[in-house]
Amino acid sequence: MIPPAVVAAVSRVVDPDELRVALESPIPAEERQQVLELVRWFTTRYASGEARLAYVRQAAARWQRARTTHTS
Amino acid sequence: MCASPGSASSHGSAPSPSHGCHSPTRLLATRTRRRAHASYNRSTVDASHFDEHSFFSAVHASGVRALLIGRRALVLLGLPLLTADYDYWIAIDDIERFNTLAADFQLHPTRTAADARRHGRYVLENDEHIDVLVARSLPTLHGHPVDFDGLWARRQTIDVRTASVCIPSLDDLILTKQIASRPKDLEDLRLLRILKESAQ
Repeated sequence: MIPPAVVAAVSRVVDPDELRVALESPIPAEERQQVLELVRWFTTRYASGEARLAYVRQAAARWQRARTTHTS
Repeated sequence: MCASPGSASSHGSAPSPSHGCHSPTRLLATRTRRRAHASYNRSTVDASHFDEHSFFSAVHASGVRALLIGRRALVLLGLPLLTADYDYWIAIDDIERFNTLAADFQLHPTRTAADARRHGRYVLENDEHIDVLVARSLPTLHGHPVDFDGLWARRQTIDVRTASVCIPSLDDLILTKQIASRPKDLEDLRLLRILKESAQ
C-alpha cells in the first residue's frame, strides 16, 4: 500500500507558476542532449511502436512484481 | 555521465542520465536499464495477457474516434517512460461503441454511458486499467480550452504492427499534459518540449 502522503504528493495539481516555469524556462543544453540520446537509444533498440510498447509493458510488470515483493 | 550514442546502441544499454532532471519514475533507463535488458528477451516475462495489438486493431476497425494520450503516446514517440495504465480521450458520442469493443477484451466500464457523459470520464478495467476521457472540451490549468474535435482533426497516426493508433499532435500532447498538471505531467511536458524543439 502506498502511503497516503505519497499519493497526495504525486497526484496534487501543481500551482500555475510551476506550470508556467515548465512551459517557459529554458532547457539546459546538457539536459536536452541527454534526453535526445535516450530517445535515440530507445528508438534504435526498439525500432517499432510495437517493440516500444512491449518493452514498457514488461517494465511495468517488473515494477509491479517488485512492488508486490516489497510490500508483502 | 552519458554513454555515447554509439556505445549505447552497440551494447544495447541506455545512455545514463546523471543529474536531477531525470526522476526515478520518469525515464525507465535511469534505474532499470541493466535488469531491463537482461530480462527483456526471457520467455518468462509476466506482463498480463491483455492482447494490446488486438485491442488497438479493434479500436481502429470500429471507427471510434479514440486518441491514445498519456505516457503510452509518449512511448510511441520514442520516450522511454514507465506507465502501467492506458489513457484514451474519445468522442463523447462514441462511448457505447468503445464499450462494446472493450467488452470483447473483458474490459468493463465503471460508469454507464450516460453517467460517463455527466462526469466526463470513466474507467475500463479488469487486470488492465484504461482511463477514458469523454469531455468535449477540458481546460488547462491556465484556462486554455482543449477541444476534442480540434485534437482529432490534428491527430497523427502511428503504426503498431498492423494496427493504426491515433495520438494527438506533439503540440496537442503538450496541451493535454496541462489539463491534469500533476508533477509528473510537468516532467513529461519538458520531455515533449525537447522533442518538439529537436524536430524544428
